[in-house]
Amino acid sequence: MREMINMIVVLTVLTTFSGGLLAAVKSKTEVQIENQVLKFQKAPAIKGIFPETTNDPLAERFNVKNENMELQVFPGKLPDGSKAVAFETSGTGFGGAVGLMVGINLDKDTIIGVRVTTHSETPGIGSRAKDDPAFVSQFSGKGMDTNFGVKADGGAIDAMSGATVTSKAVSLAATQAKEIYQKLKPEIVKQMN
Amino acid sequence: MAQSLAKEFTKGLWAEIPPFRLVLGLCPALAVTKSLENGIGMGIALTFVLVCSNLFISLLRNIIPSKVRIACFIVIVATFVTIVELLMQAYAYELFLTLGIFIPLIVVNCIPLGRAEAFAYKNGPLLSIADGLGLGIGYGLSLSALASVREILGNGTLTVWGGIPAFTMGPDFLPFKFLLTAPGAFVGLGLMLCLMNLIGKK
Amino acid sequence: MGDLFVLVISCIFINNILLAQYLGNCPFLGTSKKMETAIGMAMAVIFVLVLAGALTWIINEYMLKPMDVVYLQTLSFILVIAALVQFVEMFLKKSIPALYGSLGIYLPLITTNCAVLGVCLINIKEEYTFVESLVTSFAYAAGFGLALILFAGVRERILLARVPKPLQDVSIGLITAGMIAMTFMSFKGMV
Repeated sequence: MREMINMIVVLTVLTTFSGGLLAAVKSKTEVQIENQVLKFQKAPAIKGIFPETTNDPLAERFNVKNENMELQVFPGKLPDGSKAVAFETSGTGFGGAVGLMVGINLDKDTIIGVRVTTHSETPGIGSRAKDDPAFVSQFSGKGMDTNFGVKADGGAIDAMSGATVTSKAVSLAATQAKEIYQKLKPEIVKQMN
Repeated sequence: MAQSLAKEFTKGLWAEIPPFRLVLGLCPALAVTKSLENGIGMGIALTFVLVCSNLFISLLRNIIPSKVRIACFIVIVATFVTIVELLMQAYAYELFLTLGIFIPLIVVNCIPLGRAEAFAYKNGPLLSIADGLGLGIGYGLSLSALASVREILGNGTLTVWGGIPAFTMGPDFLPFKFLLTAPGAFVGLGLMLCLMNLIGKK
Repeated sequence: MGDLFVLVISCIFINNILLAQYLGNCPFLGTSKKMETAIGMAMAVIFVLVLAGALTWIINEYMLKPMDVVYLQTLSFILVIAALVQFVEMFLKKSIPALYGSLGIYLPLITTNCAVLGVCLINIKEEYTFVESLVTSFAYAAGFGLALILFAGVRERILLARVPKPLQDVSIGLITAGMIAMTFMSFKGMV
């Protein structure tokens, strides 16, 4: 019996201690981690979508409430004076999540460009979309009334050959972005001014 | 004392160098050795975990009841692995992305748990630190060696830190891409093991 | 339904856990010397991995996420797997002794099999649903079993061959595994 209690006490103390330690490390590194994610995953994607802006989309980012989730929005002012936003969505089709940064021109309601943000360790998934500029450039210039499904599903997007599944996940993410944009546009415009 | 410390430290660098002599931790050795930078990063991460977990287990060895010792080892090792994961995310994000899932998998990489059971639970803190440091650095060296071979021959570059190649083979070099693929990793490690056996069996 | 089928094919052949994702190599080399042990290990991994996949998914979704402590993932998953393996061992010993007789000795090895924890982490990372997680867990485990049994078949033959001394045992094992991995590479592009 004494041995039993001893065992339970040691295990409890140990796990409590480790939980506490981890919580402390987590809270110390939280801000830094967020900065790193911005710098290494989001910044390159935004740079790819808005090669030239008159402002700093990263510094001027703001959050918009979408149902119970906070959506991070990056505003961009283009050299020709029009306003644009970029935000990230994900296509959780089969093959796992593919994160997609979508840039939309607020004045024309058209897509400026999309970039895949997820870095997946599973070879093949997601990485193809990153390496294949012809695929992602199909989205550029398309209006908000376009069906972003792949052609096999009656949409307007040519799937990458040999990577149908990834193509579907990307088009799913684009469709989601369209829905979010249509729902939240008034809110986004309000916050940008 | 100093002599036995040195002995525990150096055995990890040659006599029991993982993953060659002590055949543990093969998965990361195969997976992350595409470039030297990754090999070094993994070596540092493992050394940190190994030294910390060895130290704690050795300090607590009289308190931990032997019946639940494995559970306690797992908790301690997993705690330090998570700390490494968080720190890497905060200060070496690119490396964190490439090493990915292999950082949390240090928990089941067998080296920390194996050393806890075989060494730290039976020896004092100083000796345990020496043991962990030696084996960790040894593992890092093995990974770096394998990674150098694979990166130079497979990609024609050598990257030490920061993503910029410190050395390139020049435009005339035709990279042997096979070495960067999964089969190349298996064959490369197998041949390296053979080489180690050849040297050691003299 | 079609998507799930594609998922199964990709987990077994294209992203084979052993040969393409480099997970679970220690038991791969350790238990592949005899066909009998390889089959036992393969069955034990399939059994435990499906249970672990389901359990860790539930824990992540209903405990870690609501409490916002996702950083405790590694710690909680490995403890769950360790406890699960112990529990399965006790359960089999009492209720199905015949099965325990054939799988029992492999069970403790599974806790430290990185394929098990690896698949659980991949399931979470790729944001699979519960059903998809179950399917991938099974498919990855089946892929592990397939590679292990194929490898054991080759390795039994190698025992009869005259292998140069420095290449013996693990060294030739790794090179053989490389050859098998090469054949698996040809599955790429199937999906």
